[in-house]
Order: sequence, then structure tokens, then C-alpha cells
Amino acid sequence: MAQALLQAIISGLAVGGAYALVALGFSITFTTTRTLNFSHGEFVSAGAFIGLSVLFLVIGAPLTSTTFGDANPGTAGQLMALVAALGIMGLLGWLLYWIGVRPFAGRPGMAWVMSTLGFGVILQSIGLAIWGPKPVVVPAPVGDSVIRLFGIGVRPQELLILGVAVVVMVAFDRVMNRTMVGKAMRAVAADANVASLMGINTNAVMIGAFVISSALAGLSGFLLAPIAQASLFMGLAVGLKGFSGAMIGGLSNPRGCVVGGFALGILESLVNLWQAQWREVAVFVLVILVLAFRPTGLFGRRLAEKV
Amino acid sequence: MKFAVHGFVVMAVALVLIGATSLVGNDYYLRIAFMMCVYYLCAAGMNVLVGYAGQKSLGQAGLFAAGAYAVALLTTRTEISPWIALLSAMVVSGAFGILIALPSLRVRGPYLAMVTLAFGIVVEKLVAEWTDVFGGAQGIYGIRPLTWRGEPLSSVQWVWLGIVLCALTHLLLRNLLNGRFGRALLSLQADEIASASVGVRVYRAKVIAFVVAAVTCGLAGALVAQQNQYINSDFITFQLSIFILLLVLFGGPGSKYGPIAGAVILTVVDALLARWPSVQHFLYGFLLLFALYFMPGGVMGLISSWFGRRQREQLEPMAAKDPPKVRGDGGGELLTVRGVTKAYGGVKPAQDVSFQLQRGHIHALIGPNGAGKSTMINMLTGVTIPSAGSILFAGVEITGLPVHSICRMGMGRTFQNLRLFADLSVLDNVMLGRHTRMRNGFLASLLGLPSAKRQENVTQECAMQLLGLVDLSPVAFQPAGRLPYGLQRRVELARALATEPQLLLLDEPAAGLNPQETAALGQLLVRISASGVTILMVEHHMDLVMSISDHVIVLDYGVKIAEGKPADVQVNPRVVEAYLGVDEPVSVLPTPAASPG
Repeated sequence: MAQALLQAIISGLAVGGAYALVALGFSITFTTTRTLNFSHGEFVSAGAFIGLSVLFLVIGAPLTSTTFGDANPGTAGQLMALVAALGIMGLLGWLLYWIGVRPFAGRPGMAWVMSTLGFGVILQSIGLAIWGPKPVVVPAPVGDSVIRLFGIGVRPQELLILGVAVVVMVAFDRVMNRTMVGKAMRAVAADANVASLMGINTNAVMIGAFVISSALAGLSGFLLAPIAQASLFMGLAVGLKGFSGAMIGGLSNPRGCVVGGFALGILESLVNLWQAQWREVAVFVLVILVLAFRPTGLFGRRLAEKV
Repeated sequence: MKFAVHGFVVMAVALVLIGATSLVGNDYYLRIAFMMCVYYLCAAGMNVLVGYAGQKSLGQAGLFAAGAYAVALLTTRTEISPWIALLSAMVVSGAFGILIALPSLRVRGPYLAMVTLAFGIVVEKLVAEWTDVFGGAQGIYGIRPLTWRGEPLSSVQWVWLGIVLCALTHLLLRNLLNGRFGRALLSLQADEIASASVGVRVYRAKVIAFVVAAVTCGLAGALVAQQNQYINSDFITFQLSIFILLLVLFGGPGSKYGPIAGAVILTVVDALLARWPSVQHFLYGFLLLFALYFMPGGVMGLISSWFGRRQREQLEPMAAKDPPKVRGDGGGELLTVRGVTKAYGGVKPAQDVSFQLQRGHIHALIGPNGAGKSTMINMLTGVTIPSAGSILFAGVEITGLPVHSICRMGMGRTFQNLRLFADLSVLDNVMLGRHTRMRNGFLASLLGLPSAKRQENVTQECAMQLLGLVDLSPVAFQPAGRLPYGLQRRVELARALATEPQLLLLDEPAAGLNPQETAALGQLLVRISASGVTILMVEHHMDLVMSISDHVIVLDYGVKIAEGKPADVQVNPRVVEAYLGVDEPVSVLPTPAASPG
């Protein structure tokens, strides 16, 4: 029993790391532009598929294949795939900002909800046209052999996700709080008009926010693919849980979002031990409860509207 | 009269369609016609939610599932009549509608959209994974279809039923949206705070919109399940939610015919592209984006811009009458504020403030910028809740009451930074003011009962009279947001008067007016006061304050420093000090450390 619990917590932490990356992405765009990417989940899938198409190219298979067979792309290939995933996802974030967010942000009616949603649907349909709906098994960069620790089996990829997530988040936190770039981002988050009066290029900051947020989504997709299999539909649930994590922690607080993401991963994993079909319901109920008692999340700040 | 004509036209169109479909022998075409009806039902309810109430629901597939699986379980596990099962399915999905409306009490905007999206996904996962009950991908077989004289409906009869249901839905929703409720929903889309301050029960209105969308969507789901006699988890996808949203956005949100256009066009497109799912998928994404850029009003928006605005009937401008006499006339205290304090952390815009307002008087609340005047107005109207103290209005404690209840009790207000419903006409803005005074409930409006129409006519007449009073009859049909600033202020005044207030709170009514306009406003306020309305105004124009008020209250840094007759207040040394500062010898200046930040 204790082993099963520990096992669940470890895999919950790993998946929670991916959720935390997604949650952080939501928080970054929300604080700087007051908008969210409603197709963030599709961006997670896109990250996974960009990664695996590079891997296909490395092993000499055509881009449109749907299985690796026994081929292993090796560490260099995996690194190339990672760089490509981050870079292309960053570009997609930039494109999303110009097509889906910039024309509608700050205007009443929240048209950006639909435009970002539409962007994601387009992205997904392109993926479907190339790879079809079937999931693809992806070889892990650190091998698939299970490590035994204290009597429980841990997949190295799970530890990798956890490690990468923690490193990225610590780095992000330091950049936000210790550097001029971070200060500029926080200034735009506080008040974009005043920030632009102080000579900060708010447009560049907002683009940057979308680029980083999309790259983070891509990163989490790339890392999750070897665990969960890459599928064009995998992102929706991941994106939603990332957002739930962000809501629980408080969208306006990046650290809170990270905590929320990890907490959600563990919760989900524990509920899974008991009854798999209630996993989503449990997550949803938790979000509703948090919203009912603290609408701005556990660590969020209240925003009062001036009347 | 107009309603009756419209009803006959709709019936005639429905009959023609029924006649036409009875000539179609091809099952494939009948299936498309049936799906058009199903999608129209989804879109019509969704339009109330998206187009009128302005709430984004991304989880309609969940409600579709609620209806479909309710009917499936009821007809396979019990012996009840399929017709009763259909009705029960509508009730079940309505209950789910309330469930997803609950979070809207606490969150709004993108949060709420994300919650609805989550709802859709949770339902999708649940029906796919909880196989004991929902059968997962295997689905539920043997759903009993609707029957007519003991026989299951034939393909063409299903289409007829669909057409009848669509016509009914159209007529009912038209009744609902063309009056009190439609206006209330549009107002909360524009500005929730202003909406509440004219007495609209914002949360209740949202719940109604969610429930309407849920019931029609559940009905659609139940029809599909009964017609197929089968349902499985593949029906319930995120793509369906997007499609339902797209039906409204593409057809024309906020237009009563938009859902028809959306359902007809998109069902045909859907059928044509059914062989290429990824193209279909791409097109929906593209249309979502495209519709937002090039036709924000959807197909109906395009059509109406091609054919130009239809001329609206012109109403006779009403002679400017005095505002209606107020209930409970007579002297005495109307409002008593006792020891009211408000603190935002260290900032205290109100500290132990007490004052009384006399019935029928004009009171002024003055003070330098940042004295806490607007905060006081917000506390009186319930927008802000005081940290301590009590406010008695006509003998009733109102601290902590919701904004709309306080409005209903007879407190009307205007805002410092105008909060009009910019896209609505001037007339609609003022008619919204009378929202709480209208007696027609949800059912009377939905069924278009004569009482509802009478209420609507009375309200329109009252609104036109008030527009006459503030001299705005000629612009009654223009969108309020297009008027110049000074006129917008008068619209807000008329809207506040339409709530039939005993106490009228005006937050800087003369801001931005030139001296002539200010003088005219003064005369108008005196006339309003003469009809028995008590007035409390926050104002910086001292000539206006001093010439018309009976009583002046002065605030400074959240503290009441003086009150009394205008002439007395004017010479009060503390007031002079607050406004102008005083020259003091250097020796008595407080040390910098002791001075308040």
C-alpha cells in the first residue's frame, strides 16, 4: 500500500511537472496581456509532434511516418528535436499573437477566446492531415528501462520531466525577480500603459510572453510524449489540467501556478489509484471548490474594479 | 398585433417546409434536414447565452450528452413512455445548465469560459470511461424512439417533428428576447455593474441564459439519440462544442435569425465535407477566425449591412412632463448613515462617517479629490460593502444587500465615469431603468402573454416621457454610445429616474458641462426634487452646489469635516482649510515624519 502510494506520488509529481509548465505558460500571457491561449492544449500536442517529426528525420524515416519501430534516434537527435520543438513553438506563439490576440485584445466581448480556439483547431487539423488520429509511441531520450528505488519502479523519463520542470521554473523565477527583463515584464503586467510611458516596449514584452508561453507548452508536450504516447488529442486534457492548476494556484501568481500544477498532478495520480473514471471529475470538483472560496486562487491577488 | 402576424408567418413557413419535406423520398436528404433542425435547436439556445448574455460556453457537448444519455438510460432501463423520457431529458439538461452556471456567481470572463470547457471535457471523459453506466465506445443500444399512434416515427416524421420544435423554439425565444429579458441580458453583456444598479438580477439572468441554452441543447441531444436509437461516446466531442459555438458566431450572434442561417449553411457544409474529416476540422477553425475578422456580426450582420438599416418606426415624441410623483411623500429622514467606515488596507476612504438625508431635499456631498465621495456613493448603492457601520434606507438596514435589491427599494444612481449600455439605443437604456418596476415574469415573457405586452408598452411610454423631460426624444433610437458626452450624462439621468427612485444619487452630474448646460441641469434637478425625489449629488461645481442644495456635507480624507446649509459651510474654517490650505507660521508645521503619507 505504502509502495503504491509512493509510486503514485512520484508519477503524479512527474505529470504535475508538465502541468506546472503549462500553468506557468497561462500565467505569463494572462499577467502581461490579460488574455489566455485557449488552444494551449493543442500547442502541447504540437510540441510533441514537432519533436517526433525531427526524430523521424534523424532516423531517416519520412516525416509522415507513424511508428519508430526499433530505431533509436540517440541523444544528439533528441537534443536537436528539443531545440526544434522549442524554436518552432516559439514562432507559433509569435504567429498566434499577431493573428489571434493582438487584433482582439483589450476589446470587449472576449473575441480572443474564439480566435485562439480557432487557431488551435487549425493547428490540430493540419496535424491530423499529416499523422492521422492514431497515437505514436515515442522512444525516451533517457531510455525506457525502469529504475528501482526503495522497492518502487520509476521510469527515467519521469525523473527527467521533474528535473527539467524544476530547473525551468527556478530559472524563470530568477529572471522575473532579478533581471531588468523580468522587471519590464512585471511592469507591463501591472499596467501596460504606464509601462509604455516609462519607455518599455510593451508590444515586444507581450510578444515575448506568447513566445515563452508557447515554448513552455511545446516543452511539456515534448517531455510527455515518451510517457503518454504522442497523440494530437493528448493536449486538450493536459492544457485543461494546466489551467486548472493555474486557477488553483492563482493565475496572477507564477509561483502559485507552479504549486497548483504539481498539486493537481499528485491529486490526479492518487484518485487514479482508486477509480480511474473519477480522475477528471475530482480535478474539476477541486477547481470549483477553490473558485467558490477563493475566486482568485490560493495565492492570487484580488483585482478590484474601480466604479 | 406584430407578434400575431409574425406567429402566422412562422406557422406558414413551417407548413411549407413540412409540405416540401414530405415530397423528399431520399433518406440521406431527410437526415440532413433533421440535423438542420437539431443544430438549429442547439444554436437558438446558445444564441441567448452567447449573443445576448455575452457568456462564452465551450462545453455545450456536455449538455448535448446530458440530454442524449438521459433519454437513453430512461428508455432502456425503465418502461416510461419515450415522450416523457424526452421531456425528462430536457429537465435533466436544464439541471446541468444550472450546475455550470453556478461558477458564474464567483468568476467571469475567461475563467468562466474555461470552466465550461472543462465541463464539456469532463462529461466527454465520463461517458467514455464509465462504461458500466454509459457503455463507453460500445454505446447504448435499443433506445426507444418516439412513437405516433403506436408506431415509431418514420424518417420524414422525424423531420416534421424537428420543424415543429424549431418553429416553437423560435417563437418562444422571440417572445423572451423582445422585451424585458432580452434587454436585461444585453445589458449584462455590456456592463454588469451598471446592469445591477438599474435593478437587473445579474446572476439570476445569467443562470436563466445558461438554462435556456442547456435545455435546447439537451433536447437536441435527446432527439438525436432517439432518432438513431443508439448513442455512444463518439458523439460527445470537443469538436461538437466548437461546432455549436460556431453555429452562433457564423450565423450572427445576437440576431434572432442568425441561428437559422448558421444551422442551415453549416449543416450543409458539414454534410458535404463529411468524407474529409481533417478538411472539415480545418474549415471550422478557419471559420472561427475568419468570422471574427471579416464578419463580426455573422451572416446576418453581413446581410443587414448590405441591405442597410431598416427604418425603425418613429415614435411620437412625448411632451415633457414632470417626473412621476414619488411614493411615500412627506418629510422625515429617508437615509441614515451611522458610523460608516471603509478601509482598503491602510487607505481609509471613509472613517466613522454619519449623516442623514431628509425626504424631498437636495443634498450635496463635496470635498477635495480623494475625499471618499464616490466610495460613499458606492457604499450607499451596495457596490462596495462598508467595513463597519450601518446604513438605514427608509427605515431598513441595507448594508450587505445586493445592488439590485437596493435599486428596487428606490435608490437610483448615475456614475462618475459614465456607464451606459453603449450598443443599446437611448430608449432601451432608459427602459432598462424600469426593469424592476415591470411585473411580467419569465413565463409570461416566454409565452408572450398579453400582460407582458402591456407592461412593455407602459414601460416604453414612461421611457419616452423621461426622454422628453431631459430633452432627448429626437435621439431615442440612436445607440447611446454614439451621443456626445453631455447628452450621455442626460441619458444616465433619465435611466436613473426610470428606476422610480425615492433617492437619486448623482456622481458628478455636471462634470464636463459648460456654464449654460450646468445652469440648465440645476433647473432640471430642482424640478425633479419638486416631484418628491430626494437627491444626493457629488459635485465640484460650487456655484451649482451652492445655488440649489438645501444641505451640504463635506468630506476630507474620509472624515466628515462639516455639514449644514450652503452658506454656513462656505465660511466654515475647516472647509476653507481643506480646499485651499492655510498659511501657517513655519514653526507650527508638523515635522515630515509625522505628516500623513
